[in-house]
Amino acid sequence: MKKLESNITNMAVVLTAIAIVAGGLLAWVNNVTAGPIEQINNQAIENGIKSVILGDRDIKFRVEDPTEKEGFVFHNVYDMNGDLLGTAVESTDKNGFGGAFKVMVGFDSEGKILGYEVLEHSETPGLGAQAGDWFRQKSGEVQEQSAVTTLLLGAPGKPGNHNIIGMNPGDDLMTVSKDGGQVDAITASTITSKAFLRAVNAAYKAVFGYTAADGVSGASSQN
Amino acid sequence: MEYFLIFIAAIFVNNIVLSQFLGICPFLGVSKKISTAAGMGLAVTFVLTVAVIVTYALQNWVLNPYGLGYLQTILFILVIAGLVQMLEIILKKVSPSLYQALGIFLPLITTNCCILGVSILVANATYNSQGLEPNLLTGVAYAIATSIGFALALIIFAGIREQLAKVRIPKSMEGMAIALITAGLLALAFMGFSGVDHGIAVAAGL
Amino acid sequence: MNYFKTIINGIVKENPTFVLLLGMCPTLATTTSAVNGLGMGVATMFVLICSNTFISLLKNLIPDGVRIPCYIVVIASFVTLLQMLMQAYVPDLYKTLGIFIPLIVVNCIILGRAEAFAAKNNVLASICDGIGIGIGFTIALTLLGFVRELLGNGAVFGYRIFPESMNMLVFVLAPGAFITLGLLMAIVNSVKNRKA
Repeated sequence: MKKLESNITNMAVVLTAIAIVAGGLLAWVNNVTAGPIEQINNQAIENGIKSVILGDRDIKFRVEDPTEKEGFVFHNVYDMNGDLLGTAVESTDKNGFGGAFKVMVGFDSEGKILGYEVLEHSETPGLGAQAGDWFRQKSGEVQEQSAVTTLLLGAPGKPGNHNIIGMNPGDDLMTVSKDGGQVDAITASTITSKAFLRAVNAAYKAVFGYTAADGVSGASSQN
Repeated sequence: MEYFLIFIAAIFVNNIVLSQFLGICPFLGVSKKISTAAGMGLAVTFVLTVAVIVTYALQNWVLNPYGLGYLQTILFILVIAGLVQMLEIILKKVSPSLYQALGIFLPLITTNCCILGVSILVANATYNSQGLEPNLLTGVAYAIATSIGFALALIIFAGIREQLAKVRIPKSMEGMAIALITAGLLALAFMGFSGVDHGIAVAAGL
Repeated sequence: MNYFKTIINGIVKENPTFVLLLGMCPTLATTTSAVNGLGMGVATMFVLICSNTFISLLKNLIPDGVRIPCYIVVIASFVTLLQMLMQAYVPDLYKTLGIFIPLIVVNCIILGRAEAFAAKNNVLASICDGIGIGIGFTIALTLLGFVRELLGNGAVFGYRIFPESMNMLVFVLAPGAFITLGLLMAIVNSVKNRKA
């Protein structure tokens, strides 16, 4: 078969034809994948709620339809008797190290933190990106270290307190220890840690109306 | 003040080339002479700014209202290809010497991922707008700041490579290997800016 | 034309990363771990094989004047296709690779192979070229991710080798990407020099 000539008609027809076929194909695939994508997103939210409210507990629960207020999304979770297990709040802080930082925090009816999940972040891998685990590592948990490492680098540092599970932002001052608070920042990632704690405090405030960090300097730029 | 922060952050702290890894191809390819590097920086600034305005408009007034989000990639890359073609025609007429200097690299702007990348970041509002509402104005500010950062990285790197051409280098390290390691050291130097934007924000009471 | 030779050619003689020096952005950006490098390599290979196939099929129907826009539309379609499929079936990997998935469109390897190979050869040879170059790219990315993860995180494919306190974080960060690739390239060069 001979190659088509490069005259205006040929060029316009071919380009349009390819564009139309491509557009049609994508519309079809979009249609097919829209279902699974939505399912996965819902699943992610549901898993998040389950993890921040129930943790490892295995009980049946029911989630009320989410409500939205001033950028926060609330999911109330009840057990099968209709008693409130807790509230999961989606909260975003705009000033993480690399941009917005979105977490979901679970509070029980008194405001104690049941759990959290980092939903979206653009922090540095290996540094700020550790936020997903750092704030639930048990206090006093010393990192295991081989004898060689100790010989080369010295004994492991003193374990800090950075487990926020069980704390209550209404009673406990949840800012980084540098600012006089009770939570140790992630090593070399103070900005990420501050953004994380701001998001947690803001989530608490959106439900309960106040936090212990209110009025303390360094945490006044709450929102 | 926030606009100043957008500039500081995009030029120094999150430099598009040295920390975001966008636009590496021209960074390694074009940056052998300072003058060409500056020309390339200028061309990218122009194309990127116009591209961001056009793609932002398309995203918000065509794709989003009609639920055609899945056509984003195709539409954006065609718009960018068209813009580059236009720039080529204009440059040929207005400044033949610059056109000569940029030569084959001009068509390559189409495949410079920093143009498509930044257009997508701005259209999806996933760039760091320093707490401001992501809109067309902050998007354009971010685009201009990004291109300045791109040009700066290119020019500094070209300067280093001009010096590097005069020294003897182990045979296996010649060419791309030494260029990459130099770029790594430059990236390391730029990491020293980390957190500067937050420092300024605190100092200004934001 | 020996098809097997075409594949090997893409992996060794025309390795996109170490010999042709193409597609540096995703190479540096997505290789923070071996798994991410592998994922990006396979994603790129998928687009490369599909676009090579179609462009080689359509090569006589596309007039030279609109060659590049047509190629771009074909490539962008496959990238969007991939984007939607990944979002639906491997959401975690999709999230990690982020903006570098849509940016496969502007990966010079893909347009370069369309121009240099698929537009001149038959379908079968073009598919083989796509497979070869794709594997070459995947190997390079996985290798780079492997070294960076090992040095920066003390782990390989997520399995810990060195204790956490021995991590050299800089290898996971931006400068480490440049330096590791530069050193790998120097090693490749020195092997080549010795052979010659």
